[in-house]
Amino acid sequence: MSPVVTPHTDLPDKIHGRTRYVADLHLPGELVGAILRSPHAHARIVSIDVSRALAIPGVHAVLTGKDVPHPAFGPTQYKDWNILASDRVRFVGDEVAAVAAETPEAAAAALNAIDVVYDPLPAVFSPEEALKSGAPVVHDEKPDNRPMHIKIERGDVDAAFARAAIVRGGRYTTNRIYQGHLEPIGVIATWAEAEGLTLITPSHIPYRARETYAAAFGLPEEKVRIQVPPIGGSFGAKYVHKAHLIAAALARAARRPVRIVFDRYEDMLTAHPRVPLTIDIRIAADAAGRFLGKDVTVWADAGARVYWSPNVLATACSRPDSLYHFGSVRAEGHLVYTNHSPTTCMRGFGNAEMLFAVESVIDEIAEGLGMDPAEVRLKNIVRKGETTVHGYRLDSCELEACVTRVMELSGWSRRKDLPKYRGLGMALGNHVSGYRGIDPRFEGSTAVARLRADGQVEVETGEIDLGQGMSATYAGIAARVLGVDPARVLVKSGDTGRYPFGIGTLASRSTVIGGNAVRLAAERLREALERFAEEALGPGARWRDGVAEADGKVYDLAELARLYRARHAGDVLEARASYTPDTDFPDPSFYGNPSPAYPFAAHVAEVEVDPETGRARVTGYWAVHDAGVVLNRAAATGQVVGGVAQGIGWALMEDLKTHSGAVQNLSLLDYRMPGMADVPPVVVEFVEVPDPHGPFGAKSVGEVAIDPVPAAVANAIAHALGVRGKALPLTGEVIWRALHDDGRAAPLMR
Amino acid sequence: MTEEVFTLRINGRTTRWTGDPLAPLADVLRDGLGLTGTKIGCRTGECGACTILLDGRPVMSCLLPVAAVQEMDIRTIEGLASDSRFEALADAMAACGGAQCGYCTPGIMVTLSAALQHPDWFADSGYEAALKNNLCRCTGYQAIREAIAQVQGGATSTAVAAPAGAGPAKEVASR
Repeated sequence: MSPVVTPHTDLPDKIHGRTRYVADLHLPGELVGAILRSPHAHARIVSIDVSRALAIPGVHAVLTGKDVPHPAFGPTQYKDWNILASDRVRFVGDEVAAVAAETPEAAAAALNAIDVVYDPLPAVFSPEEALKSGAPVVHDEKPDNRPMHIKIERGDVDAAFARAAIVRGGRYTTNRIYQGHLEPIGVIATWAEAEGLTLITPSHIPYRARETYAAAFGLPEEKVRIQVPPIGGSFGAKYVHKAHLIAAALARAARRPVRIVFDRYEDMLTAHPRVPLTIDIRIAADAAGRFLGKDVTVWADAGARVYWSPNVLATACSRPDSLYHFGSVRAEGHLVYTNHSPTTCMRGFGNAEMLFAVESVIDEIAEGLGMDPAEVRLKNIVRKGETTVHGYRLDSCELEACVTRVMELSGWSRRKDLPKYRGLGMALGNHVSGYRGIDPRFEGSTAVARLRADGQVEVETGEIDLGQGMSATYAGIAARVLGVDPARVLVKSGDTGRYPFGIGTLASRSTVIGGNAVRLAAERLREALERFAEEALGPGARWRDGVAEADGKVYDLAELARLYRARHAGDVLEARASYTPDTDFPDPSFYGNPSPAYPFAAHVAEVEVDPETGRARVTGYWAVHDAGVVLNRAAATGQVVGGVAQGIGWALMEDLKTHSGAVQNLSLLDYRMPGMADVPPVVVEFVEVPDPHGPFGAKSVGEVAIDPVPAAVANAIAHALGVRGKALPLTGEVIWRALHDDGRAAPLMR
Repeated sequence: MTEEVFTLRINGRTTRWTGDPLAPLADVLRDGLGLTGTKIGCRTGECGACTILLDGRPVMSCLLPVAAVQEMDIRTIEGLASDSRFEALADAMAACGGAQCGYCTPGIMVTLSAALQHPDWFADSGYEAALKNNLCRCTGYQAIREAIAQVQGGATSTAVAAPAGAGPAKEVASR
């Protein structure tokens, strides 16, 4: 049976404009919700007067902090959320009041008619400033502004640095990246006494979002239902969002469905970007280029509220240590409150940022030793069969093959002969396929496989398709187990009230964790079909390639389904299975094997810099991945190319520029994302060796695709110029200043 | 708000619509007429998700007041499906994985349909020029290029990249 061939079963509808996203849906009686946001980065709310807003015709509800519950809740262990601000606002865009009205015009007029008196407070915008004594305190419960402080050390780092032949490092900073989903954030909320709260919203982690929202309203989890329409891109932004809660509060107050759909301005203001990191790094090596030690200190700007930033920081402090043998590693991480808009997850979080620093420093070590950067990498990479410094068990690893293949594909040997202003840069990446540390209670997935009356197979999962092609991959897995055409398998997901509980789509977990559950459920369905064939057709019945045979006659699935229905009072044949990976919850020192399978990648970027404008253009890109056995080639390739494109935007052009806490470029014109002309041809190859734990040998690919990209592009630019950019993004202006060395470039380039 | 009655020619049918003359065509199509294939990404003419054809030319309907398009031929994604070259491109897009989340895809398909009908408009710089106003955050555009190459009979123009990993690697490396 061939592997999956259909890239995505939902594509014909998407291509013809027939897919209905949340903005395309309406409920009868629906009101328009709108949110009043703080213009101040930090201020005390002196008073709020909503009387004029309530008098506007068509306004059904006006809520302030006084009208909503205030339990301690939030999506992580740091319970610092509210539904609406009560006494203080902590960032520009913080939610102060909300209205529900019959028309957008009435809602806008009501927002304008709410009178808020603020008393501005001193604000803090830099994590390092926020840690100083006397800095403005963002949350009184954390007077040091530091909700999380990580220290990890393995091996004797100081001794390693003392005996090193070479030490390189410096300060690297990463930028505030907007996830850039083309579909703005949106939600429709309804409230009913018996059923509770229903949210129609494209969350890719709906069960966890449900827990957060239930806690906010003091409801049992079962009284919150999230229905997930097709997701128009997320990349981390749409998992959990205050707009969902505010729509829910409005629906409850107005007793009418309430819809909030952001415009691009509000989306960019509150989508909550990638966590900007400041990284001080040193790596020590011996004269042969073998690493002896790595020492990093990381400051993460959480903004004014904790979304998912603790996990980003923990990943930055640990993940690349399972890519190379550093000999000894030490990391200190500070998660710091500031008066910026909260920051959160985006594809490849933490790891891609730290790899930007690590891979840059590796190139500096190679240069210092007069070695080829690829050679230094090959001397230090992890390999199959090893357990890494933090306990990751690498039961498959084709990283060396990825490196040698990407060197061939990119023509790496021509690197030394490239003319000035052209450069080749390499970077490697690793990731997980699910991460045990996401949820202290469990990791795993549950799936149902059902034989429908028409002979089609229906698969239900708690995981979520967000356009990456998960459903098609699951259809392929079930089809392969059952010996049927993938087109005969329908995958359903995205309703917490209906489908199996699941953790959702994050940490690159859907192919391996959810895919294994689908495989197991399909296997149980096949076993049940074998038993039923014998029961219905006699002991001589045999099951083979999607059909049963008995007495020389062939019975297809539709006939078996009809027989089953007739013999079982109209019921359908279904099987349910859970997959629990053999992984460890990381201990307090972050040790343990957190994932069943680890993907790897080796990337090479080629750039050309225009010395007149400073603009760097990526002219070639090669990406070789160890994703195990590829189940869905078009989709996997699409994940890699899409990740590369996002990484190029990240490295060269994207940055939410802030001034006194306010983002200055809140439009797609002022925040430029890569267009077609910005993305070069990307050559993608897979080194396909089965992983023992993935379904049919597969591993993840979605996030490892972006992990090496900023570093590969930055290394190519450093090679082209002879000076290194240590602060992303490396825009034309930054590079031009470095080339013209007017003194102002110093903080940005070496 | 002033209300006026407009006669609109949409996808070959004549429709009457009553409302604000300054209402963006995108809202009229979506909310007034239920044609939700036209997507709203930014409302400021920057992303291309709301692209429609106006007398055959791709324009962003979020910037276009409905009063400006009376008597003109408006074609949305819903009105393109009968064209066989469009369907060939749609099949190629599905086969190549030219869409992921799909939100930008109708706008891209509308733009490309104009390019298919009038290749001379974009002759000098190929499809790159046609698609310069359509943002896609998922695909990195490569699968879209591959789909275009497929409907062009497999021939790759200067503007269309070779499929990923499909061509001899050395050719790419020595470009």
